[in-house]
Amino acid sequence: MTLGLKITNVSKTWNPDGPDPVPAVRNLTLDVALGEFVVLLGPSGCGKSSLLYIVAGLEDATDGSVTFDGLRVTEPSPERSLIFQEASLYPWLTVQDNITFGLKIAGLSPKKQHEAAERLLQLVGLVGAGDRRPHELSGGMRQRAALARALAMKPKVLLMDEPFAALDVQTRARMQGHLLNIWESSKASVLLVTHSIDEALALADRVVVFTARPGQIKAEIPITAPRPRDMRSPEMIELARQCEALLGEEVEKSFKEQELT
Amino acid sequence: MTDETLQTPLVANRQESFGKRLLRRMEPVLWVMASLSIFVGFWEFAWWRGWANPLLLPPPHIFLANLPDQFRFFDPGGTRAGALATGGSIFSVLGVIAWSSLRVTVGLALGFMLSLAIGIGIRYFRIFGKLVLPLVTMLAPISPVAWLPVAVFIFGIGNPPAIFLVFIAIFFIMTLATLSQIDNVPVHYIQLARIMGCNKRQIYRHVILPAILPELFVTLRMNLFAAWMVVLIAEAVGVGSGLGQVTMMARNTFNASLVFFTMTLIGLTGFAFDQTLRYIQRKVLWWVGPSNVGGL
Repeated sequence: MTLGLKITNVSKTWNPDGPDPVPAVRNLTLDVALGEFVVLLGPSGCGKSSLLYIVAGLEDATDGSVTFDGLRVTEPSPERSLIFQEASLYPWLTVQDNITFGLKIAGLSPKKQHEAAERLLQLVGLVGAGDRRPHELSGGMRQRAALARALAMKPKVLLMDEPFAALDVQTRARMQGHLLNIWESSKASVLLVTHSIDEALALADRVVVFTARPGQIKAEIPITAPRPRDMRSPEMIELARQCEALLGEEVEKSFKEQELT
Repeated sequence: MTDETLQTPLVANRQESFGKRLLRRMEPVLWVMASLSIFVGFWEFAWWRGWANPLLLPPPHIFLANLPDQFRFFDPGGTRAGALATGGSIFSVLGVIAWSSLRVTVGLALGFMLSLAIGIGIRYFRIFGKLVLPLVTMLAPISPVAWLPVAVFIFGIGNPPAIFLVFIAIFFIMTLATLSQIDNVPVHYIQLARIMGCNKRQIYRHVILPAILPELFVTLRMNLFAAWMVVLIAEAVGVGSGLGQVTMMARNTFNASLVFFTMTLIGLTGFAFDQTLRYIQRKVLWWVGPSNVGGL
């Protein structure tokens, strides 16, 4: 039995029996080790989000298999928590009730829920915001609350679908630092999707570059530099140039394809 | 002495700000008054110029002039229907309004709860949905007025047929609204609930229900006026009491003054109902921003 996430020969086609099937992911194999931080980097619409949904168990793969800790993934589970681009907090619940939503479903006592909420609010830096309502928070605070909600379920892998794309640049950098701290203390694996090269290089143990649709792995770039990383160091600049070249080819390809159709 | 001179402007300032605050709070009310005044003004003007026959279109100053005279036509029980009764006070008028309001309230409450239950049932139980949805869609376009004879056949005379008609007036529309709201719940909400370990029942209870309630409440408010129209018809035909009965009796006795007086009462009561629903909506469904409440 292998621990961690194992994606084997996964293909996904949207609308497979329809007149216009859309292949999203083709024959993709990828392993994420326990506690590893992997970033999927690719042009928009390359099927990297589809892969995330399959790993979360929200969508079935057309072909291939996904196993987690040796068990086949067939349905969603709190141990593979997904964080969306928009925080998607429930507007009818306070921040604290949003964070403890999964714990309530799991049947924890209100006292335990409250304790967990206090600890998590502290962890994500939202102390005192527990009684607020989601619409009263800024985008960055909402995303931190969503992170706390996912962490409440003690996930073994965090799946993040462009989690910081809707934030401004400054907030984004702060949130990345925040995420790294939380990742280091929680020891969960992270599989994060982005189209930002800087974000990928700042965060990842390993950057996986995707091809244009249908998504396949074009290259895998391990990064060993210690965090926090200086993005202006020669090493990082060289990596960024490498990613840019790889990504550029794919963007070119997907542009050509769009022109044809 | 110097103190006094120093304080005077302060006090004046405070008074001014109080006046301003009062003005700000009264502003909506003033607009309502202004809106009414334009309407009443035109009417009174038409009467003054002799364009409007005071027997057929008596302006407000005539039909509001002799209130006790109007009051004696009102009887909550409806036993004096059509008679030129003696007595009758402000309380009997309020009683008549209360009866109509009660019928509307009970009908709305039943219609809201049942349409919610059936709507959720249609989406929750597939076979139930497939069996019931075509029926609901076919019955929805039938005017509540067409149900009037059915209501009398089933329930006879009294409160039940009026309540039934209010119920019918909103039930089918609200059921279809419930379905459309369920289908429009953001897919992320449901995906998140699944990840958090919710089963189907928990998704409906903890996510779909709170997500659809605010919009359904707005739909209910939109249909409030339809409910009022229907209850008046029901009262005129099938009940024999209430504001609808008074209007019908006034029509039959050619009492234009009473017709307009009753119409005024109906308008005011409907307005009060809308305001009350808005208030409830704001208190109970606090997560909807005030901008989404809609209306006045």
